[in-house]
Amino acid sequence: MADLAPTDPRYPGHGYDPLGHGDEHGHGHGPSGVGKYVIVFLVLLGLTAVSYLVGNSQTLREKSPGVMWAAMMAVSCAKAMLVILFFMHMLWEANWKYVLTIPASMMSIFLLLMLIPDVGRRVDRYSEERWLYAAQPDSNSHAVAKAAEQHGHDKAGKSDAAGEQPAASH
Amino acid sequence: MAHDHDHGHTAVKLEYQPALPIGRGKLCLWLFLSTEIMFFAGLIGTYIVLRFGAPPESWPLPHDVHLQEFIGAFNTFVLICSSVTIVLALEAARGNHAGLSKFWMVATFLLGSVFLGVKAYEYNEKFKHGIFPAKPHSLLYEKADLNYVAAVRQSLAPKSLALTEKLPELTAKRDPLLAKLDAGQALTEQDQQQFTELNRQLLPNDLQYDLVQWTELIAAKDPDQAQRRRALESLAVAIYPLRPLGKEGAEMEHHYVQMLDEEAKTVRHQMQELEKDRSLAQNELAAKKAESDALTAEIAPVQMQRDMIQKEIERLQKAETTTAATEEAPSNLVSLQPPATQPPTANPQVEKLKTELAALDAQLMPKLEAQRALLAEQQRIFEREAAFTTELKRYQGRVRLLLYTLKAAPHGLNHTFSELRLPMVIPSGNMWASTYFLLTGFHAIHVLVGLIAFVLVLFYKLDRTKAHILENVGLYWHFVDLVWIFLFPLLYLF
Repeated sequence: MADLAPTDPRYPGHGYDPLGHGDEHGHGHGPSGVGKYVIVFLVLLGLTAVSYLVGNSQTLREKSPGVMWAAMMAVSCAKAMLVILFFMHMLWEANWKYVLTIPASMMSIFLLLMLIPDVGRRVDRYSEERWLYAAQPDSNSHAVAKAAEQHGHDKAGKSDAAGEQPAASH
Repeated sequence: MAHDHDHGHTAVKLEYQPALPIGRGKLCLWLFLSTEIMFFAGLIGTYIVLRFGAPPESWPLPHDVHLQEFIGAFNTFVLICSSVTIVLALEAARGNHAGLSKFWMVATFLLGSVFLGVKAYEYNEKFKHGIFPAKPHSLLYEKADLNYVAAVRQSLAPKSLALTEKLPELTAKRDPLLAKLDAGQALTEQDQQQFTELNRQLLPNDLQYDLVQWTELIAAKDPDQAQRRRALESLAVAIYPLRPLGKEGAEMEHHYVQMLDEEAKTVRHQMQELEKDRSLAQNELAAKKAESDALTAEIAPVQMQRDMIQKEIERLQKAETTTAATEEAPSNLVSLQPPATQPPTANPQVEKLKTELAALDAQLMPKLEAQRALLAEQQRIFEREAAFTTELKRYQGRVRLLLYTLKAAPHGLNHTFSELRLPMVIPSGNMWASTYFLLTGFHAIHVLVGLIAFVLVLFYKLDRTKAHILENVGLYWHFVDLVWIFLFPLLYLF
């Protein structure tokens, strides 16, 4: 099979090449072979630094954590795209790439959506009993106090009962 | 062949393509990767919903669970580098530079190993602090409740029990030093060293009584619910405080130390009250003792008189029976009768003494009764006083714990005395550990598989003919990198 590889299009050394660039096709695009990888590498490092800085920014974490999370995910998606397009050569592949990637992406998105009601909102359906053994938020935190105010006395009473031993609360 | 060409001008020539226009190996790898995308999407999605679905404000901060962001960032850097080196290896192979390709592959292998090594270090860091995904080793508790305090007591029990024999000796050594400190005297350096050493030796015992039992008593007896809860929470904070880094955390720590001082002050105040009560009891006891002494003094002469009369009666009766016996000895019939029932015509002197004795008894009886009551009361007061004394000792122990143990460990007992490995409260810590170890574990397995593939590839001469193998291994490795690109911010920075 190894002998066949360079000549037989069904056993190509590095992918079938309909445009007929032959073995040198990887070098035909963009900047020279190694140069573009170095550029991508530097960009990846820069993006990693960005997400590290964003994640460690205390002001952002306190004032708008949502923005912080969204920014970090955006940076991650950008990095993932760079890796897929350049390192995994998706940029230069033929249209077959969509046959595999689009269904897989859709499946994974559905998977996430399906998880949300079951797992993400599970606290909404906690029973009284379950709350007794649930993690207890840090009582020093301001956000908890705020949340308790918003939820009214019902919720506050619940979490108070949760702090007690089971025997004492009944 | 030439024949075919001739007809080709007129007929439409369709090229039949039996499959996707890529090699089989690459196709299989892409199919595998698409399942992998779904696999990790499921895992990461579950993590996201668990993390944001956790009870509000309960997810641990990175340093609460000994997670260091820069280590994660370093690992990201390592993986990105390895992605570049494997791409360079592929390029070298395509250019038929087998040696260069091998060099880059070795570099990739080393970078992957570095990643795994760092991961192993991180795992070890967690294990060392009792953060495990499951129970037999895990020290994580969700909240400071009675269940948690019981776990702390159980964890201290064997160490505290082992101390029982040495306890009197060690306490006897420590007490004078403590008395000096209480009196406000400064210890010499040697004494200070000895004090610290003794405190360390006695630590399990101190904690068992002055921290755990103290808290349990409040949690069981205090009528105020807020107080009960506060006691439980302060126990958790003493063992493992959860504070943010930076200025806010420093402020919280300062506040905590102040609270310890304040509590010591309150406990000392309560001790003064107790001492007052105890001295009252002591006074009462002394008064009762004096009273009973007076009574004893009163009773003693009467008792003596009574004893004398008793002796007199006995002497007279003895004399009488001996005379009677000598008189009636010949008569066998009479001697069969018991002498007690014999003489109604008894000695008038004995009779007189007997009435006297009865009179004395009547005088003595109530006094003896009163004395017995007094003794019982003394016993009661004595018990009360002893209870005050033990209570005072308990309070003393608490003050000592607050001032010399907890104040010396503001970062938590588990930090300062790491050999204790006490159970600790990290809200949602169990969920954190489960997701962290599952996600990074699956990723690490993928890294390991990649490393194995690298080793296998390194056996080939990596020239142009092997480029497709390198390409496939590279695709897999890039995917591993890609997963980490998402895991790093999610696990370390969110």
